[in-house]
Amino acid sequence: MTGGLVLIVDDEPAMRRLLSATLTAHGFAVVEAGDLAEARRALAELPRLVILDLGLPDGDGLELVRTIRAGSALPVIVISARDREADKIDALDAGADDYLTKPFGTGELLARMRVALRHAASAAGEPAPDAVFTVGPYRLDHARHVVTVDGAEVHLTPIEFRLLALLMQHPGKVLTHRHLLRVVWGPAAVEQTHYLRVHMAALRRKIEADPGRAKWLLTEPGVGYRMREEPDSGTP
Amino acid sequence: MPVLPPRSAWTYGSSVVVVAATTGVGLVAFPYVELADLAMLYLPAVMVAALAGRGPALVASTLAVLAFDVCFVPPRFTLVVDNPRHVVTFAVMFGTALAIATLAERGRRQAALTQQADVRARTEELRATLLSSVSHDLRTPLAVITAAASSAADPAVPATARAELLASVVAEARRLERMLSNLLQLTRVETGIVPVREWVPLDELCGAALARVEAATGDIAATVAVGDVAVPVDPVLFELVLVNLIENAVKHGAPPLELVAHADGARVRLEVGDRGAGLAAADHERVFEKFYRASAAPGAGLGLAVVRAIVTAHGGTTWARPRADGGTWFVVDLPAVPQPAALGPAPVEVAR
Repeated sequence: MTGGLVLIVDDEPAMRRLLSATLTAHGFAVVEAGDLAEARRALAELPRLVILDLGLPDGDGLELVRTIRAGSALPVIVISARDREADKIDALDAGADDYLTKPFGTGELLARMRVALRHAASAAGEPAPDAVFTVGPYRLDHARHVVTVDGAEVHLTPIEFRLLALLMQHPGKVLTHRHLLRVVWGPAAVEQTHYLRVHMAALRRKIEADPGRAKWLLTEPGVGYRMREEPDSGTP
Repeated sequence: MPVLPPRSAWTYGSSVVVVAATTGVGLVAFPYVELADLAMLYLPAVMVAALAGRGPALVASTLAVLAFDVCFVPPRFTLVVDNPRHVVTFAVMFGTALAIATLAERGRRQAALTQQADVRARTEELRATLLSSVSHDLRTPLAVITAAASSAADPAVPATARAELLASVVAEARRLERMLSNLLQLTRVETGIVPVREWVPLDELCGAALARVEAATGDIAATVAVGDVAVPVDPVLFELVLVNLIENAVKHGAPPLELVAHADGARVRLEVGDRGAGLAAADHERVFEKFYRASAAPGAGLGLAVVRAIVTAHGGTTWARPRADGGTWFVVDLPAVPQPAALGPAPVEVAR
C-alpha cells in the first residue's frame, strides 16, 4: 500500500517515534503532534488518516474527533489502554472509525488503517436501495430482502436482517452497541443492550456454522460488534 | 460475644420488651415462688440488655427495679418498700447491669482493635508477597526482552537469528501485558468495584474469549456447547474470566477443550474442561490462590485468582474437579436471576 499523509497524535514521544518509523517503512508520509493544539494545526496539512491517542496533556482526544467530524469524513483510528472501555465507546460514537487497544502489533494497526481508508474511499454516500453486499459466505440483497449463506437462503426476522445489513455494509469496522441500537430500534433504545445481544445471538445461530466460535460476526466485548473483513480483500 | 448493633432505638426498645416479658412471667409465677427467686428472673433480662451497651443496661435495670418493686415487693402496686432488704436487691440489679455493660463494651473495643490489626497484618503480608512475586515474574520477561532486543540491534547477528530474537521480544512483551492486566483487574475487583451487569449470551462470551486467546496462541481445538444460556454479568470482566480459564487449560492442560453450560432454576453452571494430566488432589483448591503455581509452566499464578475474584464479585462460586477420564473441569456457578423479556420493541420503520 502506498502513500498518503498520516497524522499521529500521541503525547508519548517513544510511541510517536515507533509509529512514525513503521508507517514510513510502509510508504506513508507522517506528521506528528504531541497535543491537541499541535494536532489542530497539523490538520491544515490535510492528512488522509489520523491515529489518535485519547489521553492528551491539553485536553481530551475526543474533542479532536468532534472537530474533525464536524467538517469531514477523514478516517480516525483511536488508540487507548485496555481499561478505558468507556473512552473507546465515546470516541467511536463521536465518529472515530476504529480503535486499537494498547499494546498492539503494527500488523494489526496496518490492517485497521487499510479498512478505514477503504471505507473513506467508498463512503461517498449511503448504499443504493438495491445494493447487494457480499462478505465471506454471506450475500445480502437489500431490494429482494434475501440473505444467503454459501448460496442457501436463510430466513431472518426484520431486526436480524437490518443488523446483518449494517454490519455487512461496513466489513472490518466495529459498530458500537449504541450505534446499532439507535439505527435499528431508535434513539430511545440506546441503553437496551440486552435487546441487541438477544437478536445478535439469534442471528449468530442462524448464519454461523458454530455459534459458540463465531468466525464472521465478531464480538468486541463491552464495545460492540464487527463483521470480519475478508482476509484477502486488499487495497481499495 | 454476640455482635450487636450500636445503641439504636432498636436496642432500647428491646430492653423495654425484655423487662416487660420478664414481668409477665413473674406475674404468672408469683403465687408459687419466693420473692428472692423472682428478683433472679430479672437478672438474665438485665444481662441481655447490658450486652447491647451501657445505655440500654441502665434503662433495663431501672425498668426492672421499678417493675419488681411495683408488681411484687410488698406492699404491691406501690413504690413503697416495706423491708430495707429489697433496697439491696435493687442495688445488685443496677450493679450487675453496669458491670456487664462495661465488660461488653471493653470486649467490643478489643475485638475491633484485633480485627484492625489483622487486616493490617494481612495487607502487609499481601504487599510483601505481591512485591516479591511482581519483582520476579515481571523481571523474567523484561530480562528476555532486554537481552533479545539488544542482541537483535547488534549488526553482527544474522537475519534469521534476528527474526527469532524479535519474535521472543513480542511473545514476552505480550506475556508481561497479560500479567499486568490480571494484576490490575485483581486489585480492582478486590477493592470492591461493583460489576456492571448486562445480560450476555454465553456463546458470545465464549466466542470472544476463544478468539482473544487464539490471537496470541494460534488455533485452539475446542468445542463450545453452551446452548442459548445467557448470564447477567459484567461483559468485560466475564470475558476475562473465560480468557483466563481458556489460557489456563491451554497452558497447563491439553486439548481438546470443552466449554459447556447448563441452567436450572437455581443456578447457571459453566464448565471449562481440558484433557491434560489433571491436578494433584491438594491443588484443586490451591490453584485459585494468588501467586500459586501448580506446574513449572511460566506465569504469575494470577489467572485463576482473578477468575475467583470476579466470579465472587458476581455472587457466584468457582472450583476445580478432576474429569473421570483424565483432565480437569473448572466450574463456575452463578445464581440464577430471572431474565427480562427477551423481545425488544419493534424496529423503527425506515424507508428502503
